[in-house]
Amino acid sequence: MLLAAETASSLMSLGLTLPLWPLLSAALVGIMLASGRFRGMAHVAVIAGALVAAVLGAVWFVQLAPAGDGHGATGGVSMDIAPWFSLGDGQMVGFNYYLDGLTGVMLLVVTSVALMVVIYSVGYMKDHHGHRERGYERFFAFLGLFIFSMLMLVLAGNFVLLYLGWELVGLCSYLLIGFYYRKPEAAAAAKKAFLVNRIGDFGFALGIFALYQYILPHVQPGENALDYAVVFRHAAQLTADQVNLVCLLLFCGAMGKSAQIPLYVWLPDAMEGPSPVSALIHAATMVTAGVYMVARCGPLFANAPDALEVVTWVGAIGAIYAATMAMAQYDMKRILAYSTMSQLAYMFVALGCGAPDSAVFHLYTHAFFKALLFLGAGSVMHAMGNVIDLREFSGLRSVLPTTQRLMLIGCLALAGFPLLSGFWSKDEILHAALEHNFPVFVILLLTSFMTAYYTFRMYFLCFHGPLRLPAAAGAHPHDAPPVMVLPMTLLAAGAVLAGYLGVAIHWGSPLDSFLFVFQGHGWFHHYVHNGSMVVTPVEHGSGSAVLYYVSAAVGIVGIWMAWRRYGTAPQDEPDRKSFGPLWLLWHARYYVDEIFDAVFVQPLRALGRLFFAVDRAGVDGAVNAIGGTPRALGAVLRVAQNGMLQSYALTTALGIAVLALLWRFVGTP
Amino acid sequence: MEAIGLHILIFAPFAAALAIWSLPASRGDLAYRIALAVGGMVCAIGLGLWWVTTGDADALIGETRLTWVTIADTAAGAGVTIRYHVGLDAISAVLVGLTALLVPLSIACGAVSIRERATEYYAWLMVLTGAMFGVFAARDVLLFYVFFEFTLVPLYFLIGIWGGPERRYAANKFFLFTFVGSVITFAGILYLAIRAADGGAIDFDLLRLSSVSLSTAEQSLLFLALFCGFAIKVPLFPLHTWLPLAHTEAPTAGSVLLAGVLLKLGTYGFLRFSLPMTPEGAVAWAPLMGGLAICGIIYGALISWVQRDVKKLVAYSSVSHLGFCMLGMFSMMSAGLTGSVLYMVNHGINTGALFLVVGMIYDRYHTRDMDKLGGLARQMPVMSFFLIIFVLASVGLPLTNGFISEFTVLFAAYQSKVLGPAFGAMGAVGILLGAIYMLYMTGKVLFGPLNEPHGGPDLHNGRLKPDLTRREIAILAPLAALVLILGVAPKVLTNPLEPVLEARVLARVAPHVAPAAPSGRRMAALLPGAAAPEAP
Repeated sequence: MLLAAETASSLMSLGLTLPLWPLLSAALVGIMLASGRFRGMAHVAVIAGALVAAVLGAVWFVQLAPAGDGHGATGGVSMDIAPWFSLGDGQMVGFNYYLDGLTGVMLLVVTSVALMVVIYSVGYMKDHHGHRERGYERFFAFLGLFIFSMLMLVLAGNFVLLYLGWELVGLCSYLLIGFYYRKPEAAAAAKKAFLVNRIGDFGFALGIFALYQYILPHVQPGENALDYAVVFRHAAQLTADQVNLVCLLLFCGAMGKSAQIPLYVWLPDAMEGPSPVSALIHAATMVTAGVYMVARCGPLFANAPDALEVVTWVGAIGAIYAATMAMAQYDMKRILAYSTMSQLAYMFVALGCGAPDSAVFHLYTHAFFKALLFLGAGSVMHAMGNVIDLREFSGLRSVLPTTQRLMLIGCLALAGFPLLSGFWSKDEILHAALEHNFPVFVILLLTSFMTAYYTFRMYFLCFHGPLRLPAAAGAHPHDAPPVMVLPMTLLAAGAVLAGYLGVAIHWGSPLDSFLFVFQGHGWFHHYVHNGSMVVTPVEHGSGSAVLYYVSAAVGIVGIWMAWRRYGTAPQDEPDRKSFGPLWLLWHARYYVDEIFDAVFVQPLRALGRLFFAVDRAGVDGAVNAIGGTPRALGAVLRVAQNGMLQSYALTTALGIAVLALLWRFVGTP
Repeated sequence: MEAIGLHILIFAPFAAALAIWSLPASRGDLAYRIALAVGGMVCAIGLGLWWVTTGDADALIGETRLTWVTIADTAAGAGVTIRYHVGLDAISAVLVGLTALLVPLSIACGAVSIRERATEYYAWLMVLTGAMFGVFAARDVLLFYVFFEFTLVPLYFLIGIWGGPERRYAANKFFLFTFVGSVITFAGILYLAIRAADGGAIDFDLLRLSSVSLSTAEQSLLFLALFCGFAIKVPLFPLHTWLPLAHTEAPTAGSVLLAGVLLKLGTYGFLRFSLPMTPEGAVAWAPLMGGLAICGIIYGALISWVQRDVKKLVAYSSVSHLGFCMLGMFSMMSAGLTGSVLYMVNHGINTGALFLVVGMIYDRYHTRDMDKLGGLARQMPVMSFFLIIFVLASVGLPLTNGFISEFTVLFAAYQSKVLGPAFGAMGAVGILLGAIYMLYMTGKVLFGPLNEPHGGPDLHNGRLKPDLTRREIAILAPLAALVLILGVAPKVLTNPLEPVLEARVLARVAPHVAPAAPSGRRMAALLPGAAAPEAP
């Protein structure tokens, strides 16, 4: 399906270049680095690239809006750009885009958060005296490369191109986690992130292979079997077993990228990267790629009930599992990392419960408030001289008032405080779970409570209580400079307001409209329905608002409990006393890293050593077997080695000729 | 015009070798310059010849056909004719292009490290160059065999004289293994030629030997005979044991050409000879071949992971990588064959480049032990940049050349009717294991705190800098550029390749691939206008 001619305006052809601008800016920085000139301008190039991308992203977002009331959904649009490589059988893999409402939302999220983070980084990557950190240019080049990769991921129009974006964002994640490569922890974390993701990618690749095998018999001449449009057109023709297998394999990739059980282990360690990276890659964009992919493959997953069941339960268990670990950490960024895993798990539950629009809605609101939280944590870290352990400081509201206010907004949004963006989207997911799977609903509700609790435990330990500073912070810590405050402020505005795109204003009784005014499923949902997404239609104006009150209460009680126990930033860890050994288990993160190492890594390495020993024995054994030959041959060769090249060549040729003749007369009867 | 170019490719290096040989031993610098000039010339010609190839399987570029040796056998009214018959189709042209690319780079990489007996060194390098072009250009099977064997000689001396501490042992091991294997291959070729002659005159024309009709049993045995020489060369697990030693002990140029070009003689042999000459045998043995390939992929990768010597790690990675190449070839699918040839080229570029980088590190620190060497990223940022690019290409990251070949090969193994999903899945384990050892190496060498042996780099009295010199950058930059170009536009290579592979190889083996299971109406569905044959 090609784009209709009348819509293919010059604006659109400019729009097609969207991912290339950040790539170009990264290349420019590379040239600056190689030539050694204008190095101080690295951030200008990448900000410009991100800005162009953000403008074009916003234009696309508007362009992709459904016409009229939104019920005239037109479906996705494929745009072929160039061929890439051939798969035989007349099948091609090309560079092509697939554009629909889901693409529009992702473009908006990626480009806007990226722009904020790039601007913030200008301040963050300098010390208090304005000196650029070592590797400043490299950092911005990688950011530019990441934005390009992420845009390719969301614009891709076929599964191989999706895989391309998927791997490239993984590469950028690797490079940026390992940004402080001299630190052994950072280098190890980078490697771990890449490898754990590769486990998922193994499944993802097999999913693509299997999909091709099953789809190929159904494709018509001229269709490429791995294009989204073709797959979605023929998805219904696959058998249930086929779709289930394909979806489960694809979901393996999602488990890696979106940090779900059991492939989540890389995400907490990824916090070794600079904080802006954590905000952009490990909270707002890259880690949501798995959610995006499952939502994108809606037409496949909709026919795969078993796979959806797995998605639901992986999500539900992951949500509460991550929350328990978040309750017992001291590293601010790790707490946020576990909360990211937990919130991504919410999105998977929504996907599993057949509400991909709610999953994408949560993805969208989460991007703003979680990016804000990470940037806020970065601001704390920047002021504290790179100390981020909550035991090292407290009472920072007096020295970092701006950061504290912005963090409060982010924490409230994450905790699901009423009327902030996280509240609206999380409630929808609870609603979907309630309709499909009651045990899962209970788990999620409990997790909501824990989320509010651990978020504010972190907040109080950091900003409340008596002022204590680590030695590394110096006597007078500085609050964030304007270049960092501006992007955080804009994200905070998003954290407050973004949710209103997804709620409907409906005056009614407080039982069917929250606070007389609000109902779920607003304009945002119409927007994302415009495309490949498969959603169970929701009747507007008939919903119940009761759940809104329940989840509001749960969030507020969680915050209140945290206030009761941690409001004065106590140093003796009340939870440790209350939960005892359980708390220690959470604190040690269930010893999963150690278990992985003992069960997978060490045995594999032992196998490698065994093979190596066998290999060496094989070499020596073989030599012994033909024992005398080398010596005899060596004697001959010593003659040849005296510079008599010609004679050797002649000997070989003659020998072959003699052999040929011998064979001719001996070999034929 | 093209014919003259092809003659120059084959004979100019031999002439240069003679010229260099006759120089006094003290003129190493002049020898280097002559070799580099000839290398540059063959590079231009070789790439030019590749550029003019088309997808027409019958049109050979620069074809020349001269009778070399005729042995008349009056009694039987027959005789033996050996011809100097050369010419390039798309398959051989790709490999000629790869050789042409790597030759000047491998000459240039010795500029600092080769100080002893330099004239001899460059003479042998030139001999090797001529022989490598000869192998790929040959259209007469016996001529192929002569060049095939002849490559052993210069490499034997390159390893044995300029290699590492265990060079003698490595050179003998290398020579014996490959020589013994190829003798059996030779017997197979002779048998085939005699069968083709059918009592008449014997000749070794490639196309003639590729269209002999043989019984199933004959094909099966003949496949095994050809297998012996080619599988050792590839090297296919478990016949690979000569490789790590030879690779590790060889001087950098030897490792580059060994990995980049000479291993491809094995895969080229399978593709050019085994598949078209014994198609039924190849299909029958394909599952075994696929199994060995997968063993090699996993085995090589796991061993790479436990190495301390960087060069040995890269050497074992070749065992793993060539497994992918063989897996694709024996899928008997168009995508697999194309992917396999792409894999040959890409492995040549990527592994060649890795050996070059390792050599550059070794020139400075005189060690390759990763326990003594680490955290070089800050010391050598330019080197790190290149190393990371080649590592990424090696692990098959999209937009690098490695991705296309790895993906198509695994894809083909999965879709194959002779191999199938289990093979695809097992092979795909390699994409994880490959990343493990490569990133392990990167982490050790580049990241972490700085760890330099001997208190810092040996700069050879000012001939080197702590980071890469301009000469070294000029060596690596073209390879890095190709990594990206072939990753984005692999069609440059595959457009002429695909039709030729289909005509010369797939058309021979396809009739012997069992008809697809019920799900496989796929081919029929794809042919426009062809009615799908509904099986009753």
